[in-house]
Amino acid sequence: MSALLRLEGVNSFYGPVQVHFDLNLDVEAGQIVCLLGGNASGKSTTMKTILGLQRPGSGRVWFDGADITGLPTPQVIRRGIGSVPEARRLFPAMTVRENLLMGAYARSDRAAIATDEERVLGLFPRLRERLGQRAGTMSGGEQQMLAMARALMGRPKLICMDEPTMGLSPLFVDRVLELIQAINREGVTVFMVEQNASLALGIAHYGYVLQTGRIALQGPAGELLRDPRIRDAYLGGAARDGEGEG
Amino acid sequence: MGGAWFDYTVNGFVIGNIYALLAVGLALIYGVANLVNFAHGSVYVVGAYVGWAAITYLDTPLPVTLLCVVAVSALVGVGIERIGLRPLHGSSRIAPLLATIGIALVLDQVVQLVFTPDPRAVPMQVPEWRVAVGGGTIGALDLLIAGIGLTSAVVLYGFLRFTKLGWAVRATAQDSDAAQQMGVDVNRVNMAVFAIASALSGVSGVLVGMYYNQISTAMSFEATLKGIVALIIGGLGNVPGAIAGSLILGLTESYGIALFGTSYRNLFAFVLLIAMLVWRPNGLFAARRALPPEPMTGTFIARSRPVVVPRWAVAALVVAAALLPLLGQPYLLQIGANSLMYAMLALSLTLVAGTVGQVSLGHAALLAIGGYASGLLAMDAGWPVALSIPAAGLVTAALGTLLVFPAFRLTGHYVSIATLGIGEIVSLVILNWTGLTRGAIGLGGIPPLEVFGFDLGSVEGTYWLCLAVLVLLALLQLRLLRSHLGRTWRAIRDDPVAARSYGVSGDRYKALAFGFGGFAAGISGAITAHVYSYINHETFGASISILALTMVILGGLGNVAGAVLGATLLIALPEAFRFLAEYRILIYGIVLLLLIRFRPQGLMGTV
Repeated sequence: MSALLRLEGVNSFYGPVQVHFDLNLDVEAGQIVCLLGGNASGKSTTMKTILGLQRPGSGRVWFDGADITGLPTPQVIRRGIGSVPEARRLFPAMTVRENLLMGAYARSDRAAIATDEERVLGLFPRLRERLGQRAGTMSGGEQQMLAMARALMGRPKLICMDEPTMGLSPLFVDRVLELIQAINREGVTVFMVEQNASLALGIAHYGYVLQTGRIALQGPAGELLRDPRIRDAYLGGAARDGEGEG
Repeated sequence: MGGAWFDYTVNGFVIGNIYALLAVGLALIYGVANLVNFAHGSVYVVGAYVGWAAITYLDTPLPVTLLCVVAVSALVGVGIERIGLRPLHGSSRIAPLLATIGIALVLDQVVQLVFTPDPRAVPMQVPEWRVAVGGGTIGALDLLIAGIGLTSAVVLYGFLRFTKLGWAVRATAQDSDAAQQMGVDVNRVNMAVFAIASALSGVSGVLVGMYYNQISTAMSFEATLKGIVALIIGGLGNVPGAIAGSLILGLTESYGIALFGTSYRNLFAFVLLIAMLVWRPNGLFAARRALPPEPMTGTFIARSRPVVVPRWAVAALVVAAALLPLLGQPYLLQIGANSLMYAMLALSLTLVAGTVGQVSLGHAALLAIGGYASGLLAMDAGWPVALSIPAAGLVTAALGTLLVFPAFRLTGHYVSIATLGIGEIVSLVILNWTGLTRGAIGLGGIPPLEVFGFDLGSVEGTYWLCLAVLVLLALLQLRLLRSHLGRTWRAIRDDPVAARSYGVSGDRYKALAFGFGGFAAGISGAITAHVYSYINHETFGASISILALTMVILGGLGNVAGAVLGATLLIALPEAFRFLAEYRILIYGIVLLLLIRFRPQGLMGTV
């Protein structure tokens, strides 16, 4: 069991509808792993299953050598998983600083939290200028940064990001991708769900492609980028190489 | 003169502080749990009685009294969260609200059984001196209440602003999913909030007991209502808004009493409520005037497949019911007639709450309108009863629709609150419009039932008339439900936005539903009035609205046969177990709670 996170034979259901069919997925420690897929492919459900927001019908979720299947979300978080939810989900009426400290809610080591706050603000200098501002009043890109910074405040081993580039201007998309790499360089494993295949594979080590609840393709990111099936399905064919969502 | 106004101001301010202790808790609970807690006033009563018991039996000094009240009330709050809220996670949004109504019934009845319904005087624990200020006076108790109000506000602010749990409360209120993903145990947050809110509510209760020098189990409902009014003025879930709303409400009431007299007091409160819901549903302090997009559309009621009863069985049941008088058991027939009258009301409510999805908590007001209309037409205008009853149905249809009309654009919890307020307004208008309704004296000597010379005043006559009317109304309602109109109603309930995008004007169809429902309820009220021969503004109170709702949920929301079954069961069963009469309300409450938890689709299934 070398993988930091492992999904093993997961079958999930949304009411009577089956979302995942025998899903198997490994996230190696220290890597950036992306999960690609179109609408309704089951990406978000994968995220919810890992975070304990949804219990799988069968199968197991392993994290750091322990079975976390069906654990309540707060306990999953306490074991060292940070979450950057889809559409960011900040606490809009709380200040930037309060949002950051909410990220450290599961911790009680005050001194270390203060050092981590400094470290995180070093990574996101933009946030330092806005510590007293209400989170809901910031721009989308700034909010995305705060969401990532907030997740880092929990000092996680693994960060799960649900569509981190969604709804951002192209300028901010690049910035966010750089930051994800920076986070990863600090030793945090990143598992991200993305619709934008070329961008995600551009920074990832390994990728999975989810299609109607099954893993259709997987492999090192470089190989996937060159795979003609990926190009056809997600990059809009060779002619529109690099344009993003297909 | 100036002195009197000073006193009214002080009084309004003190009452405002008492409301604030209630409303702040409601706001906190609404914040984290998106729930209007209808059991809040019951905790307030628990607090009042715990305080009374501590002083009377243990002779506790004031700080210890308050401590006892805080401890017991907080415990009750934790119980409410644990029993009423947590198991309902993931069920329809209206379920927890209905559960808190059930808990309120249970709590009120338990307090009544323990302490008897007789009012008690809470011994004064504060020196009785008063100082003259600006022509009026301020007493020690005024200062104590203001002090407790202010201290609570400051402590609460500090808690929310500077403690970890307080942060978790705010985070949960803003985005409970995201809070969980930060490691917040939302269940614990809910429990803490219920404990805090209930402690404040209990303190409010004991302070009220000292202020008016009297407590009774009957104060619970009014306390809940006043808390809700203050909450709506400030904006649902807005804690500082709730405090401001409470002070506004307290002062409005106090000045209202000064200008118009005591019997108008609640009328002001509820007119203020409806005005707020119509013009500023987000509260006085919100920038937005429209309600936020509904998170509560979609699966409003529990889905289920209704139980199909074959036609011959229905026909057989009707025939059997028609033959019941031949048994020659007048007592049985009386219960039967009573069940049938309630069944008409349930038919009306199952249409409005079930088919159209507008959970009305003020449906008994329609009975009152029908009863008064028929009674007055027969007595003052000299109409024959055979004409006054259908006329009362029409009057109720028109008036009921007109009254609820301002609430049509509301949905979910707001509808329940608005209809509750409208129901109270109807009863208060009846009380105060002495020229028409004879006010508090009530309508006496309403002529008995008769149709074109046939005397139906006998038990058999009443029974047969009710049965005939019910069968007609039920057939008509079934016919409507199967028509294009019925489909449109269900479409509005299931997805108002989608219905609108297909060109369906929600308002017009809601009006049709309330019109037809008002007609059935009005007839029921009219018949009741002629059977009772005396009614007053309290005959058709809020408890009947809640009972009707329990019947409808028991039968299955929207289900016509279910409504009749629910009414029959809830009226007839307590008669069968007469030795349990004392526990009747308790049983209703428990039935409601069990249904919501284990069979939300009711006995016959929702339609």
